[in-house]
Amino acid sequence: MESATVTAPGGAPKRDGMSTKAKVFIGLGIYLAVAILLLLIFGNAGKNEEFKPQNEFKLEPWVSIHLAGIDLSINKAVLYLVLASLATIGTMVWIARRMQQKPNSRVQTAVEVAYDLTKNTITGGSLSGELARKWFPFIGALFFWIWFSNMLGFLPLPTNTEHHFTLFGLEIPSFAIYAATANIAIPLVLTLVVWLSYHVEGIRAKGFVPYFKSWLPPGLEEMSPVGKGAIFIIEVISHFVRLISLSVRLFANILAGHLLLLFMGGGLAVLLGIAALGALTFPLAFAFFIFEVGLVATLQAFIFSTLSAIYIGGATSATH
Amino acid sequence: MDLTALPLAEVTDEGVKGAGKAIALGVGAGLGSIGAGIGVGFIFGKEIESVARQPEMKSDLESIRWLGFALTEAVAFYTFIFGLIAFFLS
Repeated sequence: MESATVTAPGGAPKRDGMSTKAKVFIGLGIYLAVAILLLLIFGNAGKNEEFKPQNEFKLEPWVSIHLAGIDLSINKAVLYLVLASLATIGTMVWIARRMQQKPNSRVQTAVEVAYDLTKNTITGGSLSGELARKWFPFIGALFFWIWFSNMLGFLPLPTNTEHHFTLFGLEIPSFAIYAATANIAIPLVLTLVVWLSYHVEGIRAKGFVPYFKSWLPPGLEEMSPVGKGAIFIIEVISHFVRLISLSVRLFANILAGHLLLLFMGGGLAVLLGIAALGALTFPLAFAFFIFEVGLVATLQAFIFSTLSAIYIGGATSATH
Repeated sequence: MDLTALPLAEVTDEGVKGAGKAIALGVGAGLGSIGAGIGVGFIFGKEIESVARQPEMKSDLESIRWLGFALTEAVAFYTFIFGLIAFFLS
């Protein structure tokens, strides 16, 4: 079309005079041709029965501890829990010690922005006054802990004890990605803490019976007791569903991100035995990595703490 | 017509089970993504509409937009995860 006269935004005419559309198509064509060439060279090795993707998320006990029939073994998830907690406490204490009136480092500016987000947007958006002051430390800590845990999940660490490689005569476990939040147990415990605390806070603010009465939405004064009972049962179910939705949302997002990275970054090619597939899926792994690190990790921390604040605010506010 | 002469693959229990799992993963994750895709598109579309009407509300709408986006997008991941659980862990 306008291929010969197209000028770059700077004003200089393009050297090759090709439209962007043609470039994109040629790029895609080369990409597919490389994949087909690789398929012809390496062929199909058949389905790989040995590779089990689910083992990436298996928790092998490193230090076996069994107390009164409860398995308290130290495993990968425990390591990530400790690392996330140390990173949270370490960064915050380190920054707090070096606080200055005028931000002199980029880290301080970044932490100030995050602090402002947790204080004004997340806590201040749903709670006010005394309640906000009381619950801000909890909600802020939730945000920062989940954020550090999610981010640690995208750093490859030598934690895969199933496979080893040798470096200078040392046997080192293979590098793998895992996150404390990619295990249902940890989001569930966080959710249980939030769930119990918003009920306790609601009972404290309104009293035991009035709190449960306040579950009924306003405008039902003329309804028969049977109808009120039915709606109350629905409300009870909705409170229990919060337990599932809050924990599974965080867990599924992080686990799905890790699984996508695993499959796109070579897992699918190994599983199916088609080496050429790796060339096709690897750029997608890059895209997913950027999506996960840039958006999902922060967004899930944000959503978890925002919903916690909304639940506490909802339990204590005068009108339901 | 003699059906036994047709070149049908041998049907085994394992094969049927594997096919069922593959269909569960494909259909489940695919349909789930359709729903979440429509939802996310709706949220961003409505947000653009609102900002176009009242540009001064932009900062207020931002946090609501991300809240809605994350709540909706999670649905796609639910179906993906449960599909994979059905495929690999059952």
